[in-house]
Amino acid sequence: MSDIAFLSMMLGTAVAAGVLGAILGLGGGILLVPLLTLFFGVSLPYAMGASIVSVIATSCGAAAGHLSSGLANLRLGLFLATATVSGALLGAGLVGVVPARALQILFGLALGYSAFTTLRQLHVEVAESLTVDPVAQRFGLDGVYHDRALGRDVAYHAVHVGRGTAVMFGAGVLSGLLGIGSGAFKVLAMDTFMRLPMKVSTATSNFMIGLTAAASAGVYFGRGDIHPVIATPVALGVLLGSYVGTRLIGRLRNTTVRKLFLPIVLYLAVSMLLRGLGLLR
Amino acid sequence: MKGAERAVPAVLLIGGFIAVGLMLVGLVALEVRATRTAHPLDVRHVVENRAAGRAVDVFVSLPQIAHALARWPPEPVAIIAAGIVVLLTTPAAGLLAALVAFARAGDRRYVIICAALLVMLVSGFFLHVGG
Repeated sequence: MSDIAFLSMMLGTAVAAGVLGAILGLGGGILLVPLLTLFFGVSLPYAMGASIVSVIATSCGAAAGHLSSGLANLRLGLFLATATVSGALLGAGLVGVVPARALQILFGLALGYSAFTTLRQLHVEVAESLTVDPVAQRFGLDGVYHDRALGRDVAYHAVHVGRGTAVMFGAGVLSGLLGIGSGAFKVLAMDTFMRLPMKVSTATSNFMIGLTAAASAGVYFGRGDIHPVIATPVALGVLLGSYVGTRLIGRLRNTTVRKLFLPIVLYLAVSMLLRGLGLLR
Repeated sequence: MKGAERAVPAVLLIGGFIAVGLMLVGLVALEVRATRTAHPLDVRHVVENRAAGRAVDVFVSLPQIAHALARWPPEPVAIIAAGIVVLLTTPAAGLLAALVAFARAGDRRYVIICAALLVMLVSGFFLHVGG
Protein backbone atom coordinates (compact mmCIF):
# COMPACT_ATOMS: atom_id res chain seq x y z
CA MET A 1 0.00 0.00 0.00
CA SER A 2 1.38 3.45 -0.90
CA ASP A 3 1.96 6.20 1.66
CA ILE A 4 -0.89 8.29 0.19
CA ALA A 5 -3.34 5.38 0.37
CA PHE A 6 -2.28 4.55 3.95
CA LEU A 7 -2.62 8.16 5.11
CA SER A 8 -5.95 8.53 3.27
CA MET A 9 -7.38 5.48 5.05
CA MET A 10 -6.18 6.90 8.37
CA LEU A 11 -7.86 10.19 7.46
CA GLY A 12 -11.16 8.45 6.66
CA THR A 13 -11.05 6.53 9.94
CA ALA A 14 -10.39 9.75 11.84
CA VAL A 15 -13.35 11.48 10.14
CA ALA A 16 -15.67 8.68 11.32
CA ALA A 17 -14.21 8.88 14.83
CA GLY A 18 -14.75 12.64 14.82
CA VAL A 19 -18.39 12.35 13.79
CA LEU A 20 -19.15 9.76 16.49
CA GLY A 21 -17.08 11.60 19.09
CA ALA A 22 -18.97 14.86 18.53
CA ILE A 23 -22.34 13.14 18.92
CA LEU A 24 -21.41 11.02 21.95
CA GLY A 25 -19.15 13.47 23.81
CA LEU A 26 -16.09 11.26 23.46
CA GLY A 27 -12.59 12.26 22.38
CA GLY A 28 -11.83 9.49 20.01
CA GLY A 29 -9.32 7.52 22.07
CA ILE A 30 -11.85 4.82 22.74
CA LEU A 31 -12.54 4.61 19.02
CA LEU A 32 -9.16 5.40 17.48
CA VAL A 33 -6.66 3.56 19.70
CA PRO A 34 -8.03 0.07 18.93
CA LEU A 35 -8.36 0.90 15.22
CA LEU A 36 -4.87 2.40 14.93
CA THR A 37 -3.18 -0.48 16.76
CA LEU A 38 -5.17 -3.40 15.36
CA PHE A 39 -5.95 -2.21 11.83
CA PHE A 40 -3.09 0.15 10.97
CA GLY A 41 -0.34 -1.56 12.98
CA VAL A 42 0.54 1.62 14.86
CA SER A 43 2.60 0.97 17.99
CA LEU A 44 0.75 1.68 21.26
CA PRO A 45 2.76 4.78 22.35
CA TYR A 46 2.10 6.45 18.99
CA ALA A 47 -1.57 5.42 19.13
CA MET A 48 -1.86 7.02 22.59
CA GLY A 49 -0.20 10.18 21.27
CA ALA A 50 -2.61 10.22 18.33
CA SER A 51 -5.44 9.75 20.81
CA ILE A 52 -4.51 12.93 22.70
CA VAL A 53 -4.41 14.80 19.36
CA SER A 54 -7.78 13.31 18.49
CA VAL A 55 -9.33 14.39 21.81
CA ILE A 56 -8.20 18.00 21.43
CA ALA A 57 -9.09 18.19 17.73
CA THR A 58 -12.55 16.71 18.48
CA SER A 59 -13.00 19.25 21.24
CA CYS A 60 -11.97 22.17 19.00
CA GLY A 61 -14.30 21.16 16.18
CA ALA A 62 -17.25 19.90 18.22
CA ALA A 63 -17.16 22.45 21.04
CA ALA A 64 -17.05 25.29 18.52
CA GLY A 65 -20.20 23.98 16.86
CA HIS A 66 -22.00 23.01 20.08
CA LEU A 67 -21.23 26.32 21.83
CA SER A 68 -22.43 28.29 18.81
CA SER A 69 -25.69 26.32 18.69
CA GLY A 70 -26.24 26.70 22.44
CA LEU A 71 -26.18 22.96 23.07
CA ALA A 72 -22.96 23.04 25.12
CA ASN A 73 -23.18 24.95 28.41
CA LEU A 74 -19.97 26.99 28.72
CA ARG A 75 -20.37 27.95 32.39
CA LEU A 76 -21.22 24.37 33.38
CA GLY A 77 -18.26 23.06 31.39
CA LEU A 78 -15.83 25.52 32.99
CA PHE A 79 -17.21 24.89 36.50
CA LEU A 80 -16.92 21.11 36.19
CA ALA A 81 -13.56 21.34 34.38
CA THR A 82 -11.94 22.70 37.56
CA ALA A 83 -12.69 19.29 39.08
CA THR A 84 -11.56 17.17 36.11
CA VAL A 85 -8.37 19.11 35.40
CA SER A 86 -7.26 19.21 39.05
CA GLY A 87 -8.16 15.52 39.30
CA ALA A 88 -6.08 14.75 36.21
CA LEU A 89 -3.06 16.57 37.63
CA LEU A 90 -3.45 14.70 40.93
CA GLY A 91 -3.88 11.40 39.11
CA ALA A 92 -0.71 11.93 37.09
CA GLY A 93 1.13 12.55 40.36
CA LEU A 94 -0.25 9.33 41.86
CA VAL A 95 1.14 7.08 39.12
CA GLY A 96 2.99 4.28 40.86
CA VAL A 97 1.48 5.14 44.25
CA VAL A 98 -2.13 4.04 43.85
CA PRO A 99 -2.76 0.50 42.59
CA ALA A 100 -4.14 1.11 39.10
CA ARG A 101 -5.75 -2.34 38.83
CA ALA A 102 -7.89 -1.83 41.92
CA LEU A 103 -9.12 1.46 40.47
CA GLN A 104 -9.87 -0.16 37.14
CA ILE A 105 -12.04 -2.81 38.84
CA LEU A 106 -13.78 -0.14 40.90
CA PHE A 107 -14.52 2.04 37.90
CA GLY A 108 -15.47 -0.96 35.79
CA LEU A 109 -18.14 -1.80 38.36
CA ALA A 110 -19.23 1.85 38.52
CA LEU A 111 -19.54 1.94 34.74
CA GLY A 112 -21.56 -1.27 34.81
CA TYR A 113 -23.95 0.32 37.27
CA SER A 114 -24.12 3.43 35.05
CA ALA A 115 -24.95 1.25 32.05
CA PHE A 116 -27.84 -0.23 34.04
CA THR A 117 -29.04 3.28 34.97
CA THR A 118 -28.74 4.43 31.35
CA LEU A 119 -30.78 1.42 30.26
CA ARG A 120 -33.54 2.34 32.72
CA GLN A 121 -33.65 5.89 31.31
CA LEU A 122 -33.42 4.82 27.68
CA HIS A 123 -36.79 6.30 26.77
CA VAL A 124 -36.54 9.48 28.86
CA GLU A 125 -36.27 12.42 26.48
CA VAL A 126 -35.81 15.21 29.06
CA ALA A 127 -35.69 14.49 32.81
CA GLU A 128 -37.91 16.46 35.13
CA SER A 129 -35.92 18.57 37.61
CA LEU A 130 -37.99 18.77 40.75
CA THR A 131 -35.38 20.38 43.04
CA VAL A 132 -33.47 23.63 42.77
CA ASP A 133 -29.74 23.35 43.38
CA PRO A 134 -28.39 26.49 45.11
CA VAL A 135 -24.89 25.98 43.66
CA ALA A 136 -26.36 25.73 40.16
CA GLN A 137 -28.24 28.96 40.73
CA ARG A 138 -25.25 30.83 42.18
CA PHE A 139 -22.96 29.82 39.31
CA GLY A 140 -25.57 30.15 36.56
CA LEU A 141 -25.35 26.50 35.51
CA ASP A 142 -28.93 26.18 34.25
CA GLY A 143 -29.66 26.74 30.59
CA VAL A 144 -31.93 26.50 27.58
CA TYR A 145 -31.30 25.18 24.07
CA HIS A 146 -33.36 24.84 20.92
CA ASP A 147 -33.99 21.17 20.15
CA ARG A 148 -34.49 20.76 16.39
CA ALA A 149 -35.62 17.16 16.76
CA LEU A 150 -38.39 18.17 19.17
CA GLY A 151 -39.05 21.48 17.42
CA ARG A 152 -39.01 23.53 20.63
CA ASP A 153 -36.81 25.21 23.23
CA VAL A 154 -35.86 22.98 26.16
CA ALA A 155 -35.07 24.58 29.52
CA TYR A 156 -33.05 22.47 31.95
CA HIS A 157 -31.81 22.72 35.53
CA ALA A 158 -28.67 21.11 36.90
CA VAL A 159 -29.26 19.21 40.16
CA HIS A 160 -26.92 17.38 42.57
CA VAL A 161 -24.06 19.63 41.46
CA GLY A 162 -21.89 18.50 44.40
CA ARG A 163 -22.30 14.85 43.49
CA GLY A 164 -21.63 15.55 39.81
CA THR A 165 -18.51 17.55 40.65
CA ALA A 166 -17.19 14.72 42.83
CA VAL A 167 -17.68 12.25 39.97
CA MET A 168 -15.91 14.66 37.64
CA PHE A 169 -12.95 14.83 40.01
CA GLY A 170 -12.81 11.04 40.12
CA ALA A 171 -12.94 10.91 36.33
CA GLY A 172 -10.06 13.37 36.19
CA VAL A 173 -7.98 11.27 38.61
CA LEU A 174 -8.67 8.22 36.47
CA SER A 175 -7.57 10.14 33.37
CA GLY A 176 -4.30 11.20 34.91
CA LEU A 177 -3.60 7.87 36.57
CA LEU A 178 -4.44 5.56 33.68
CA GLY A 179 -3.67 7.87 30.77
CA ILE A 180 -7.16 7.50 29.32
CA GLY A 181 -9.76 9.98 28.24
CA SER A 182 -12.78 10.39 30.46
CA GLY A 183 -15.45 11.66 28.08
CA ALA A 184 -17.78 8.79 28.92
CA PHE A 185 -17.54 9.54 32.66
CA LYS A 186 -18.27 13.21 32.06
CA VAL A 187 -21.36 12.37 30.02
CA LEU A 188 -22.58 9.89 32.63
CA ALA A 189 -21.99 12.35 35.50
CA MET A 190 -24.07 15.02 33.76
CA ASP A 191 -26.78 12.67 32.47
CA THR A 192 -27.15 10.32 35.45
CA PHE A 193 -26.30 12.51 38.47
CA MET A 194 -27.06 16.04 37.33
CA ARG A 195 -30.13 15.05 35.24
CA LEU A 196 -29.17 17.14 32.25
CA PRO A 197 -30.55 16.40 28.77
CA MET A 198 -28.37 13.78 27.06
CA LYS A 199 -27.44 16.07 24.13
CA VAL A 200 -26.39 18.85 26.53
CA SER A 201 -24.30 16.28 28.44
CA THR A 202 -22.46 15.05 25.32
CA ALA A 203 -22.04 18.56 23.91
CA THR A 204 -20.66 19.99 27.16
CA SER A 205 -18.41 16.95 27.53
CA ASN A 206 -16.96 17.74 24.10
CA PHE A 207 -15.87 21.13 25.43
CA MET A 208 -14.45 19.71 28.67
CA ILE A 209 -12.43 16.85 27.17
CA GLY A 210 -10.20 19.36 25.35
CA LEU A 211 -9.30 21.07 28.63
CA THR A 212 -8.65 17.76 30.42
CA ALA A 213 -6.51 16.46 27.55
CA ALA A 214 -4.56 19.72 27.30
CA ALA A 215 -3.59 19.31 30.96
CA SER A 216 -1.64 16.14 30.18
CA ALA A 217 -0.75 16.76 26.51
CA GLY A 218 2.68 18.12 27.44
CA VAL A 219 3.64 14.72 28.87
CA TYR A 220 2.91 12.92 25.59
CA PHE A 221 4.61 15.60 23.49
CA GLY A 222 7.68 15.68 25.71
CA ARG A 223 8.01 11.88 25.52
CA GLY A 224 7.93 11.94 21.72
CA ASP A 225 4.68 9.94 21.58
CA ILE A 226 2.96 12.37 19.18
CA HIS A 227 4.42 11.43 15.81
CA PRO A 228 3.92 14.13 13.16
CA VAL A 229 3.11 11.73 10.31
CA ILE A 230 0.33 10.01 12.29
CA ALA A 231 -0.95 13.13 14.05
CA THR A 232 -1.60 15.07 10.82
CA PRO A 233 -4.25 12.85 9.19
CA VAL A 234 -5.78 12.12 12.62
CA ALA A 235 -6.09 15.82 13.52
CA LEU A 236 -7.45 16.81 10.11
CA GLY A 237 -9.94 13.94 9.94
CA VAL A 238 -11.21 14.35 13.49
CA LEU A 239 -11.56 18.13 13.17
CA LEU A 240 -13.63 17.78 10.00
CA GLY A 241 -15.65 14.84 11.33
CA SER A 242 -16.44 16.51 14.64
CA TYR A 243 -17.75 19.62 12.88
CA VAL A 244 -20.04 17.39 10.78
CA GLY A 245 -21.12 15.62 13.98
CA THR A 246 -22.26 18.89 15.53
CA ARG A 247 -24.59 19.39 12.55
CA LEU A 248 -25.98 15.85 12.84
CA ILE A 249 -26.71 15.91 16.58
CA GLY A 250 -29.31 18.63 16.09
CA ARG A 251 -31.47 16.16 14.16
CA LEU A 252 -31.23 13.43 16.81
CA ARG A 253 -33.44 13.00 19.84
CA ASN A 254 -31.93 12.66 23.33
CA THR A 255 -33.20 9.07 23.46
CA THR A 256 -31.37 8.23 20.22
CA VAL A 257 -28.08 9.63 21.54
CA ARG A 258 -28.56 7.64 24.75
CA LYS A 259 -29.15 4.43 22.75
CA LEU A 260 -25.95 5.07 20.78
CA PHE A 261 -24.07 5.75 24.01
CA LEU A 262 -25.14 2.61 25.87
CA PRO A 263 -22.92 0.10 23.97
CA ILE A 264 -19.93 2.40 24.54
CA VAL A 265 -20.52 2.35 28.31
CA LEU A 266 -20.89 -1.43 28.29
CA TYR A 267 -17.71 -1.85 26.24
CA LEU A 268 -15.82 0.45 28.63
CA ALA A 269 -17.16 -1.36 31.72
CA VAL A 270 -16.16 -4.78 30.43
CA SER A 271 -12.71 -3.71 29.15
CA MET A 272 -11.94 -1.87 32.39
CA LEU A 273 -12.96 -4.89 34.50
CA LEU A 274 -10.88 -7.21 32.32
CA ARG A 275 -7.85 -4.89 32.62
CA GLY A 276 -8.30 -4.68 36.39
CA LEU A 277 -8.37 -8.48 36.58
CA GLY A 278 -5.24 -8.67 34.42
CA LEU A 279 -7.04 -10.43 31.60
CA LEU A 280 -6.54 -7.60 29.08
CA ARG A 281 -3.46 -5.44 28.47
CA MET B 1 -25.61 34.97 22.96
CA LYS B 2 -23.19 36.33 25.55
CA GLY B 3 -19.61 37.47 24.85
CA ALA B 4 -17.84 34.35 26.10
CA GLU B 5 -20.20 32.05 24.17
CA ARG B 6 -19.21 33.93 20.99
CA ALA B 7 -15.49 34.32 21.64
CA VAL B 8 -14.65 30.77 22.75
CA PRO B 9 -16.01 28.86 19.71
CA ALA B 10 -14.31 31.34 17.37
CA VAL B 11 -10.94 30.85 19.05
CA LEU B 12 -11.30 27.04 19.16
CA LEU B 13 -12.21 26.82 15.47
CA ILE B 14 -9.54 29.25 14.28
CA GLY B 15 -6.89 27.58 16.44
CA GLY B 16 -7.92 24.15 15.18
CA PHE B 17 -7.72 25.15 11.53
CA ILE B 18 -4.40 27.02 11.90
CA ALA B 19 -2.96 23.95 13.62
CA VAL B 20 -4.19 21.53 10.98
CA GLY B 21 -3.09 23.94 8.21
CA LEU B 22 0.46 24.00 9.54
CA MET B 23 0.47 20.21 9.92
CA LEU B 24 -0.73 19.74 6.33
CA VAL B 25 1.86 22.16 4.91
CA GLY B 26 4.59 20.33 6.82
CA LEU B 27 3.41 16.89 5.71
CA VAL B 28 3.22 17.93 2.05
CA ALA B 29 6.70 19.49 2.28
CA LEU B 30 7.97 16.26 3.87
CA GLU B 31 6.49 14.14 1.09
CA VAL B 32 7.90 16.49 -1.61
CA ARG B 33 11.36 16.34 -0.04
CA ALA B 34 11.14 12.57 0.23
CA THR B 35 10.26 12.34 -3.48
CA ARG B 36 13.05 14.72 -4.56
CA THR B 37 15.74 12.98 -2.54
CA ALA B 38 14.48 9.54 -3.60
CA HIS B 39 14.06 8.53 0.06
CA PRO B 40 10.42 7.47 0.35
CA LEU B 41 8.59 8.42 3.53
CA ASP B 42 7.64 4.79 4.21
CA VAL B 43 4.79 5.44 6.64
CA ARG B 44 4.59 1.80 7.71
CA HIS B 45 8.18 1.95 8.92
CA VAL B 46 7.31 5.13 10.83
CA VAL B 47 4.26 3.76 12.64
CA GLU B 48 6.08 0.64 13.80
CA ASN B 49 9.27 2.46 14.76
CA ARG B 50 8.43 3.27 18.36
CA ALA B 51 7.83 -0.34 19.31
CA ALA B 52 11.15 -1.31 17.77
CA GLY B 53 12.85 1.27 19.95
CA ARG B 54 14.65 2.97 17.06
CA ALA B 55 15.26 6.69 17.21
CA VAL B 56 12.69 8.79 15.42
CA ASP B 57 12.73 12.38 14.18
CA VAL B 58 10.19 13.78 16.59
CA PHE B 59 10.58 17.22 18.12
CA VAL B 60 9.92 17.18 21.87
CA SER B 61 10.61 20.74 23.01
CA LEU B 62 9.83 24.31 21.96
CA PRO B 63 13.50 25.40 21.63
CA GLN B 64 14.11 22.42 19.28
CA ILE B 65 11.15 23.45 17.10
CA ALA B 66 12.17 27.12 17.06
CA HIS B 67 15.73 26.23 16.07
CA ALA B 68 14.57 24.01 13.20
CA LEU B 69 12.09 26.63 11.94
CA ALA B 70 14.76 29.36 11.96
CA ARG B 71 16.74 27.52 9.28
CA TRP B 72 16.06 27.98 5.51
CA PRO B 73 14.29 26.06 4.25
CA PRO B 74 12.52 25.26 7.52
CA GLU B 75 12.49 21.61 8.51
CA PRO B 76 9.10 20.12 7.42
CA VAL B 77 8.80 18.00 10.58
CA ALA B 78 9.31 21.17 12.64
CA ILE B 79 6.42 22.83 10.76
CA ILE B 80 4.19 19.86 11.66
CA ALA B 81 5.45 20.02 15.26
CA ALA B 82 4.59 23.73 15.39
CA GLY B 83 1.07 22.81 14.23
CA ILE B 84 0.82 20.16 16.96
CA VAL B 85 1.87 22.74 19.59
CA VAL B 86 -0.78 25.16 18.29
CA LEU B 87 -3.40 22.40 18.55
CA LEU B 88 -2.37 21.38 22.08
CA THR B 89 -2.50 24.99 23.28
CA THR B 90 -5.77 25.95 21.55
CA PRO B 91 -7.94 24.92 24.56
CA ALA B 92 -5.85 27.27 26.71
CA ALA B 93 -6.37 30.03 24.11
CA GLY B 94 -10.12 29.39 24.34
CA LEU B 95 -9.87 29.74 28.13
CA LEU B 96 -8.04 33.04 27.76
CA ALA B 97 -10.77 34.31 25.42
CA ALA B 98 -13.40 33.27 27.99
CA LEU B 99 -11.49 35.00 30.79
CA VAL B 100 -11.33 38.27 28.85
CA ALA B 101 -15.04 38.05 27.96
CA PHE B 102 -16.05 37.35 31.55
CA ALA B 103 -13.81 40.18 32.80
CA ARG B 104 -15.50 42.58 30.35
CA ALA B 105 -18.90 41.39 31.63
CA GLY B 106 -17.78 41.89 35.25
CA ASP B 107 -18.34 38.21 36.10
CA ARG B 108 -15.69 37.79 38.81
CA ARG B 109 -16.56 34.17 39.66
CA TYR B 110 -15.85 32.94 36.15
CA VAL B 111 -12.76 35.12 35.78
CA ILE B 112 -11.35 33.27 38.80
CA ILE B 113 -12.43 29.87 37.44
CA CYS B 114 -10.85 30.58 34.04
CA ALA B 115 -7.67 31.92 35.64
CA ALA B 116 -7.32 28.82 37.84
CA LEU B 117 -7.80 26.51 34.83
CA LEU B 118 -5.29 28.51 32.77
CA VAL B 119 -2.65 28.27 35.47
CA MET B 120 -3.15 24.50 35.66
CA LEU B 121 -3.00 24.02 31.88
CA VAL B 122 -0.09 26.34 31.13
CA SER B 123 2.12 25.12 33.98
CA GLY B 124 1.38 21.49 33.10
CA PHE B 125 2.25 22.04 29.43
CA PHE B 126 5.43 24.08 29.86
CA LEU B 127 6.73 21.79 32.58
CA HIS B 128 7.15 19.06 29.96
CA VAL B 129 7.68 21.00 26.72
CA GLY B 130 9.47 24.18 27.75
CA GLY B 131 12.84 22.52 27.19
